[in-house]
Amino acid sequence: MSANAGLLVGFAFWFLASSWVAAEEAGHRQAKVVEPPIEPATSAAPQSSNPTASQDPPGIGLSLFLSNGCGACHTIRGTEARGTIGPDLSYVGSRSAIGAGVLPNTEEAIARFVARPDLFKPGVKMPAFDMLPQTEIQTIARYLKALQ
Amino acid sequence: MTPGSRTEFGTASSNATAEEDAVRVANQPMMIRVKHVVFGAIGLPVVLLLGAWIGFFNVGASSGHWKVTAWFLQLAMRSAVRTYALAVDAPKTLDRRGLPAAAGHFARGCAICHGAPGELRSPAVLRMLPQPPDLALTVGDWTDAQLFRIVKHGIRFTGMPAWPARDRDDEVWAMVAFLRELPKLNPNEFRALAFNGSDATSSDRQPATPDVLSDCMRCHGGDGEGRGDAVPVLAGQKEAYLLASLQAYAKGDRTSGFMALPVTGVDPADLAALARYFAAQPSVSADRDQVSAEVINKGQQIAEAGIPERNVPACSGCHLGSNKNQVYPRLNGQHAAYLERQLKLFRSEDRGGTPFWHIMATAAQRLTDDDIRAVSAYFSRRAEGPR
Repeated sequence: MSANAGLLVGFAFWFLASSWVAAEEAGHRQAKVVEPPIEPATSAAPQSSNPTASQDPPGIGLSLFLSNGCGACHTIRGTEARGTIGPDLSYVGSRSAIGAGVLPNTEEAIARFVARPDLFKPGVKMPAFDMLPQTEIQTIARYLKALQ
Repeated sequence: MTPGSRTEFGTASSNATAEEDAVRVANQPMMIRVKHVVFGAIGLPVVLLLGAWIGFFNVGASSGHWKVTAWFLQLAMRSAVRTYALAVDAPKTLDRRGLPAAAGHFARGCAICHGAPGELRSPAVLRMLPQPPDLALTVGDWTDAQLFRIVKHGIRFTGMPAWPARDRDDEVWAMVAFLRELPKLNPNEFRALAFNGSDATSSDRQPATPDVLSDCMRCHGGDGEGRGDAVPVLAGQKEAYLLASLQAYAKGDRTSGFMALPVTGVDPADLAALARYFAAQPSVSADRDQVSAEVINKGQQIAEAGIPERNVPACSGCHLGSNKNQVYPRLNGQHAAYLERQLKLFRSEDRGGTPFWHIMATAAQRLTDDDIRAVSAYFSRRAEGPR
């Protein structure tokens, strides 16, 4: 009997408080979303005319490509990269454009795409790799551009 | 002059006067009530505020609450827990796989106030107001949902804190499962559950390992084998991954109430030493649940080939082979229950971690519960190849 009355009173308070609680939790939810840091596109890859391309140790581009897991989604013929979820990159360097045609096929553009594909291709399935050191992204981009 | 006598006089006077009197009589009690309301609405808060301002209310804990205050606070607390717990979706049976981790956490975080089997509490704690209850005696008063509510959100005005990690209901449920066990434990059983494996005196630790290692060992075991299926195997894990994970816990990028306590305030150099220590331990094989070969095969399929039609990449692309990024963890021989929980946390984006966490979240969001179970079971029994 008294428990029921208590429950009733409790409910009344609950209804009063619920909107406030909801607002509070919404606030926390918002705070929780972790946005990857957005680098200004201009700083992403300043080395379009890169004279150091040939200075990479042989195989470093492919080894970075494989070690970071790119091969799980992409195929590059003649390597252990045999993923089928993303586009086949065996001859990506000879394409006229990348990112569904929104970017020119340059080393700089490939590097920008690898770092933040979502900026260029809405709804893209590929996650951003902007947590990689910029030099590694550029090395991978040089390697991909050279796949003719 | 009472209203009754006025009415008697009224019979003798003129009609107009009687009417006026009647109106005044009817209004009189109303006037008094409005005065009361005005005093209540304005006067009483002013009096209370004045009382608080001149320091009338004693906030000392020494003399305890007035009986009426204690009664009211108890009523409000118990009713609020009962009412808010109505919204908690409690599982039918509590998952006991997290018991060792929960016991270890209880020993470090909770026992200082609530005591533990065979442990005397500090006299200072006993003079807290309210005095923290001996949980072995009181958990029976609450349902699972109510305990969950208390452990997750804490209780205002009592010193009972909220759970240190907001999105780790799995850890809170592990604590509830442990609290259900607590009344049944004698001191030896409690120590075995909470401290087994962390007896630092019994083994030959490397001199370079920091003191905080005993904190790790309480849950992860001295050999890094992970006590209970919910606690990860650390033995033989990649050192870079262990260090990056410890740093993520310390920075709050990866949330866990169990990890928040031991990792907070640890010297960064000690974190590196801990990562080195556990990476150097020989790999151990985790306990294995009985899982059908069909499930294992499905897990192997996902691990090696992914699920292309649902855009799930093969796990092997990042997690198998010695040529992979050192911040991508090894999964071979890991506890299935731990892997399952992490994949689900990734899927709901409640798990951060190293700077690479969102790659795993992207993949996990394409997995069903069955996929997660299969692939976790597969990796838990996958033998270690050459590293």
